[in-house]
Amino acid sequence: MKQYIYHESGELHVTGEAIYVDDIPVHDQLLIGKVVYSPYAHAKIKSFDLSEAKKVAGVHAVLSYKDIPGHNQMGPVVKDEPCLAENEVNYVGQAVFLIAADTIEQCYEAEKKIKVEYEPLEAILDIETAIAKNSLLGPPRNITRGDVEAGLKNSKNVIKGELRTGAQEHWYLETQVCLCIPGEGNEMKVYSSTQHPSETQTIIAEVLGIKRNEVTVEVRRLGGGFGGKETQANHTACWTALLAWATKRPVKIRLFRDDDMIMTGKRHRFLIRYEAGFDDDGTIQAVRFELNSDGGSATDLSFAILERAMLHTDNAYYIPNFSVTGMVWKTNLPSNTAMRGFGGPQGMAAIETVVDRIARYLKKDPADIRFKNFYGIEERNITHYEEKVENNRLHLIYNQILESSEYKRRRKEIAEFNSQNEFFKKGIALTPVKFGISFTTTFLNQAGALVNVYTDGTVLVNHGGIDMGQGLNTKIQQIAAAEFGISPDKVKVNATDTSKVPNTSATAASTGTDLNGMAVKNAIDIIKTRMSEEISKLFTEKNPDKPTKASSVVFENDEIYDSESPDRRISFVEATRVMNLRQVSLSSTGFYRTPTIGWDKSKGKGKPFFYYSFGMAVSEVILDILTGAHKILRTDIIQDVGDSVNPGIDLGQIEGGFVQGLGWVTTEEIKWDEKGNLLTHSPDTYKIPVVSDIPKDFRVKMLENVPNLVGTIRKSKAIGEPPFMLALSVWLAIKDAIASFANNEIEPDFSLPATNEVILLAVEKLKKKMTTPKILVKE
Amino acid sequence: MKSNISFILDNRVVYIDFEQERKLTPTTTVLNYLRQLPNHKGVKEGCAEGDCGACTVVIGELENNRIRYRAVDSCLIFLPMLDGKLLVTVENLKSPEGKLHPVQEAMIEQFGSQCGFCTPGIIMSMFDLYKNYVCPSRSEIEDVLSGNLCRCTGYRPIVDAALKACSYWGYDHFTEEEGKLVELLKSINKESLIIKTQLQTYFKPSSLSEALEFRNKHPNSIILCGATDVALKVTKAHELLQEIIDLSAIEELKFIEENIHEIKIGAGVVINDVRKKIIKDFPALYEMLNVFASNQIRNFATLGGNLGTASPIGDSLPVLMAYEASVELQSIEGRRVVPLNEYFVGYRKTLRKDNELITKIIIPKQNNGAVIKSYKVSKRKDLDISTLSAGFKLESRNNIVQNIILAYGGMAERPKRASETEKFLRGKSWTREVVEKAMDILQQDFTPISDVRGSAEFRRIAARNLILKFWNDTKLVD
Repeated sequence: MKQYIYHESGELHVTGEAIYVDDIPVHDQLLIGKVVYSPYAHAKIKSFDLSEAKKVAGVHAVLSYKDIPGHNQMGPVVKDEPCLAENEVNYVGQAVFLIAADTIEQCYEAEKKIKVEYEPLEAILDIETAIAKNSLLGPPRNITRGDVEAGLKNSKNVIKGELRTGAQEHWYLETQVCLCIPGEGNEMKVYSSTQHPSETQTIIAEVLGIKRNEVTVEVRRLGGGFGGKETQANHTACWTALLAWATKRPVKIRLFRDDDMIMTGKRHRFLIRYEAGFDDDGTIQAVRFELNSDGGSATDLSFAILERAMLHTDNAYYIPNFSVTGMVWKTNLPSNTAMRGFGGPQGMAAIETVVDRIARYLKKDPADIRFKNFYGIEERNITHYEEKVENNRLHLIYNQILESSEYKRRRKEIAEFNSQNEFFKKGIALTPVKFGISFTTTFLNQAGALVNVYTDGTVLVNHGGIDMGQGLNTKIQQIAAAEFGISPDKVKVNATDTSKVPNTSATAASTGTDLNGMAVKNAIDIIKTRMSEEISKLFTEKNPDKPTKASSVVFENDEIYDSESPDRRISFVEATRVMNLRQVSLSSTGFYRTPTIGWDKSKGKGKPFFYYSFGMAVSEVILDILTGAHKILRTDIIQDVGDSVNPGIDLGQIEGGFVQGLGWVTTEEIKWDEKGNLLTHSPDTYKIPVVSDIPKDFRVKMLENVPNLVGTIRKSKAIGEPPFMLALSVWLAIKDAIASFANNEIEPDFSLPATNEVILLAVEKLKKKMTTPKILVKE
Repeated sequence: MKSNISFILDNRVVYIDFEQERKLTPTTTVLNYLRQLPNHKGVKEGCAEGDCGACTVVIGELENNRIRYRAVDSCLIFLPMLDGKLLVTVENLKSPEGKLHPVQEAMIEQFGSQCGFCTPGIIMSMFDLYKNYVCPSRSEIEDVLSGNLCRCTGYRPIVDAALKACSYWGYDHFTEEEGKLVELLKSINKESLIIKTQLQTYFKPSSLSEALEFRNKHPNSIILCGATDVALKVTKAHELLQEIIDLSAIEELKFIEENIHEIKIGAGVVINDVRKKIIKDFPALYEMLNVFASNQIRNFATLGGNLGTASPIGDSLPVLMAYEASVELQSIEGRRVVPLNEYFVGYRKTLRKDNELITKIIIPKQNNGAVIKSYKVSKRKDLDISTLSAGFKLESRNNIVQNIILAYGGMAERPKRASETEKFLRGKSWTREVVEKAMDILQQDFTPISDVRGSAEFRRIAARNLILKFWNDTKLVD
């Protein structure tokens, strides 16, 4: 297969010709929609009056929940999210009214004229308060293996502690946006920036009270998603559809950046409590985790996210006695939602903190402690949820990266540097990632496709996945070209469309290529079988003495030939014309479901994952102890991608995922005020990485000659999420540098993200502890 | 005096008469203007506040008969600011024969785009880089691209694309067409502009005397030069700006004069041009201006604007105080010079009277022996407003402090000197012991507040530490 092809939209991107929802040409009947949201974190809506707002010139509709023709619900799993608030609002930013007008200025004008009387109620704005008030979103979950109590009791050493991980805003460059165009009868055509068009279709149908076959959702591309458009694109889509329904005119809603940040959910912040027992050599005997997640005001995907967190609190380590309990707490904030890693990052931050502390406690190199506790190849290879870790590449990667990063030598040099510098400290950390691939909700692991071959030899591929920038359509294009044996420029991947491929799963959980690639292959196999049979007849007609078998027909280099009589050949283009003349269908659907997996949520046992993706990173940082500023001097990454379908795309996912993780662990800090107003609601105050924040020396490699053995498309591996968590190497390198300030003898106060403030205050506390009589690391 | 604007877009002169326009006003941003055209949807809105760069376009201006190209956030500039200029968008980068521009080609080959939404803006910043640098270094690339957020790629391929593309001495189809473009630009009338609509007056004088006259009659008019701050009133707060005076066409404000004693910088000189002139004599100011916002903003923002806004966290202000700079204010009645130390009187309040305009900034050159340093504490190094910042000056003899200035931003309602701490340090030895005592005195000077950028405790500790850092950077090496 031709691996090195450029992003299929590359040329459109760089010329500005790529069309996003906001760029779709619409005739001048278009109205602009605006959402009016709650200014209170928790309040009763006592009364409202929209009459003055409706009188504003240019305003065509002002809607409340009373104007919803169908169900006032848009919760994706649990029906606990009203489309427009009825009697109560539960967070600042919750949609209450909708306005459609000729211009956005008229919307602002109308918004000012809406009269609402709120009665503020007490709000829960943090996990601690939620715990104190027992404000749970659902029952706690637990996964246990072995005997944790006994394990802890029998361990020579025990540590206990607490860790906080922060929320993260997706910061897709393209904010939530939707364009709806009403058709005849009940028809509604929807152009949405959604990762889950089938769900967007379903929920719009429910909200409008119409049938799903009357709603078509089309998605050309997303200007970034990262999980933020998995369920919450539905919201903007529903609001837009309601306004289009009410006005019978095309309506577009594009959220302004600040509104998008205020109204939509984030990565869940976690409060993690842990207790771990281990031997003097660092072998972990028992770990107990309590994961407290801030779900926000509604369920959304919080339990699936919690579950993935619980399934990744082992990360790369075999822990014989293990218990992880998880709770999702209900607070008066926007419902938190999917984001790249989907709980995995929080789970891994927990166990990596434990391992890091064990090393400091034992005064050993953390890399050695990690290696010692890795899952084994032949033994010690069963996870706490009883899935066997197969094709384990941890040791292979560890040995390679230890050498290529010169970890041991650099660690010595860093110690030397730190002993000579009072105001600047360096730190280094090696962290592994083992990430499970599949939706843990097993039935979601399915995909569909529709492949059309035209009589000029070109191919149009439809599939249920969404290209949000990750290069899915480029890979699909390559896969289709390789399967048909034609050049990629003969293949076009269509906009995703619910009328072409129905009932799809979200493009999420890193499964886009695995699922859709296989569904496309299935469709192509069906067409090829038909073509092979007909071509074998064609060849046989010309050579009746020696028939061509359908099974020996080969598609290669834009030709189709008989592998047993290679002189019998026909060009692919010619073949498509011949098929049409001979009444053979050149179109087929395809389908795929992931085999061998199965997961019992209630027992917490089974095989949730088809396979694991492995990676490792070594990062070195330098801190300015006086200001808390940090710089990443070097990062080395080795990532397992199986046989890469497209190394250029995969490299982009590794680097991009890592840098997004970098933001989560360093500069991206979400803050609310005491009334539940988001303070960091624009890039002015919310800081994602810029070009100068990436490692000064950035060395990324893909593990070579390691095909995925479980039967994935082209023996490749998923790549969307796993690299995100490699950024924990930066976070722990910062901690390593802080700890060196006290000669690694005192455990620093540390949380995530490690902002300059966290770093400076941690150093300040170390200073105080150093001047008081010696405090042991053990608490 | 004219009442309509003309600029070049798509190789032709575009003429806008606001009295005839229904959809456009004098405060329509260039971003919103472009987005409503049928063929310029490449420009994207990512934040509408100049913090993401998705809306970056390039503006060409005549300078010594050549065209100078500068990237800018189109969400931060108003249409009248385009008058007499060339507007270049991502759609213009292909050659007339349809060949991709070298920066576009390199971005494709390096996999520099993923979702593609930030890409047109990045392409335009790279075009600025392409036209202004030959074989730029990595740090120059970072300098020009730090105003463009990308959430997908992690930037490495973008930097590589820039390294690869920018090696043709800026040669492209714009070079070939330069003669024609220069003629078109010259054809546009340069006289003063006054736009009056039912709701707004936008005055863009070409001379200082006209500006002062107008200011005298309209003391409440909004003053802008680069508009990088004022534009937010429109894009974020949705305010209607009724009277605007735009100083950006006044050549008299765009000078830099230097003698052995001082440098005088016209209030209308953009930060990027100030930067080039101060590297040698004012390194601490240079350092601070390097982390001042982003390239797009530095291309339009001015020192005059930073002093006019007088934000307590204005990046350039503490370091200018450390240099003992002064500001010249002028009105129809005359001019006066005010030392910066006295200039700031409260939260965004200064001694400038309503009818006065800032005309120049005067920065004395330092005697031998004086050391000045600037420090910025912010969550992110580039394109971030400081949590606190500082400009410090030390004059010592035999390690005895003769004079010291400790000016801070972000520690009070205005940029302010730590006068008690300064008093304590004067006449004492510049030793660690003394400095550590001075750090304790600092709390008498400031009571910082907690806000979204940092807690009071953080500010207090960092402010103390900066004195130690200054000592460490200036101590005698034995």
